[in-house]
This record gives sequence, C-alpha cells and structure tokens, in this order.
Amino acid sequence: MAATTDTEHEEHTGASASRPSAARRRPGPVAMAVSVFGELLITAGLVLGLFVVYSLWWTNVVADRTAGKQADKVRDDWAHGRDGGPGALDTKNGIGFLHVPAMKNGEVLVEKGTSSKILNDGVAGYYTDPVKAVLPMSGKTGNFSLAAHRDGHGAKFHNIDKIKKGDPIVFETKDKWYVYKVYDILPETSKFNVKVLSQVPKESGKKKPGHYITLTTCTPVYTSTYRYVVWGELERVEKVNADRTPPKALR
Amino acid sequence: MGLVPWYDGRDGMYGWIWRHLPGNTWVRALISLVLVVAVVYVLFQYVFPWAEPLLPFNDVTVDNQ
Repeated sequence: MAATTDTEHEEHTGASASRPSAARRRPGPVAMAVSVFGELLITAGLVLGLFVVYSLWWTNVVADRTAGKQADKVRDDWAHGRDGGPGALDTKNGIGFLHVPAMKNGEVLVEKGTSSKILNDGVAGYYTDPVKAVLPMSGKTGNFSLAAHRDGHGAKFHNIDKIKKGDPIVFETKDKWYVYKVYDILPETSKFNVKVLSQVPKESGKKKPGHYITLTTCTPVYTSTYRYVVWGELERVEKVNADRTPPKALR
Repeated sequence: MGLVPWYDGRDGMYGWIWRHLPGNTWVRALISLVLVVAVVYVLFQYVFPWAEPLLPFNDVTVDNQ
C-alpha cells in the first residue's frame, strides 16, 4: 500500500505538496459516519433513478419481446388451424388481438386474466375477477372487459386518453372482426368502482343488455390513483377473409 | 473540496472500495465498471421485479381490494 500511496502522492503533487502532513491524519468517527451517510443518500438517489429507468423503459423492452413472441404463436396457430379442436377456445395463449387506431400502438394481444403476471407480458387481459368478462365469440350479451398497463410492461393502454367518442375499437379473432364504437368515457373513477365492469354498465348510460366492451387502465399517467374507463358497443361483426383484410374501421 | 485529496480517508465507502481494488488506475476503473454493471444487473433482474408489486405505481384493474 505504501508504494501505491507514493505514486498517488506524486500524481497529486500540485495539490498536496504545500499541505501539512497533519491534514492527512485519519478522520474521526463522526466525519466517517457523515461521509458514509452522504454516500448512502447518493446511492439511494441513483437506485431510485435506476428504478424509474427500469419501470418506464426496461419493462417495456421485456414485455414487448414477450408479447411479440406470444402474438407470433397465436398467429401461427391460427394459420395452421391449431385452435384446439372444433369450437374449443384456446385461452391459454391469446384469444385475439385488440386494434385501437386512436391509441396508435398497433395490435394488442388479449389473454385471459388481469393478474400482473399476465399483464406484465405486455398484453391486455380480460377480467375473470371480480366480474367475469363475456367474450364476444360467445355471442351472448354482456361486457367484454379488459385491462392493460398505462406505463411500463408494454404500456399497451398508454394513449387511452387519445380515444374519443365515436372511435372504433376492433377485436380480431381467428375468424371474426368485432367492430366496436366508443360511446362513453369515464376519465377518472375510483379503483374500487367494479360497477364499470357490469354486464350492463349503467354508469355509461346503458340500461339494456347488449354487446359492450370496456377498457380500463390507471390514471393519471405514472400513478395508480384512479382508473380510466372507455366503453364501446358492438357495431358489426365481419368475417375474416383469406387475406385477413382489416375492416374499414382500421383502414 | 479541491483542497481535500480524494484518497485521504475521508471518502466513505466508494473511496474505500477504490483503495482496495488491485492494479493501477485503469485496471481499477475497469473493475469498477464491471462492478457497476453487476449491481445494475442484479437490480434490474432481481431487486426491481421484486419491489415493483409492492409499490403502488402500476395497478391498472378495478377490484374490491
């Protein structure tokens, strides 16, 4: 160590030559404690900064990769007719794709469940709890309720605030295009407001059973204080042709 | 600040680490870089995924809880 100190000393001759050697005594315990505490604060700041980078960037990278892989698998299964037998619904992988032109994020894979394990893969999930979503393929009236992340983990519903009344929401399955039209928006509601998921969402002004779609995510951006809700109603169903030509709403 | 040489012992834990790394300045810088990358990797791979669900920043669903 002595040799190292010497070379370092030489490197810093300009600064230390004029200094009395007494100044180089070891600092007291208080000074040490203060300096370690200061460094801990700096470290905490850096870690928090890194956490922001992680949340808003890295989780998107990971989620987009996973979602892309899963989406490819679904498309592949569709192309090869592997949908688990006639009439069976393969819910393990995605059930279809959500297209919302107003959000400008291409297609979003839809999977079963809204646990963070599912949603963190950069997909949208349909509710199974507390209110079970009614899938459009079932043909029954009800509410097709979905959730996805606003920020991080793919941030699939980041631009939900760009959706306006009258905008189309299209859900694509193996052989149908379900074209919904947005008819009501709730920009802020309590996260406990499970009524927005009702089969007939009364808050949106509907009284009769119908084919509804509900998108939920958190708001304002970067927090989870409230929930943002968008409601749509089924306008028409189109058959998918051989080229999978998107319906007019997407062109 | 400029009056206090960075190696005089008042430099807390980072200085302590630096002084205990082997080799010359370049080798130490390289090892430091590797250490930083390792720390960032551990944070991104293990610590943040663990901490994230505990923080109230990204709950998107409506529920009864």
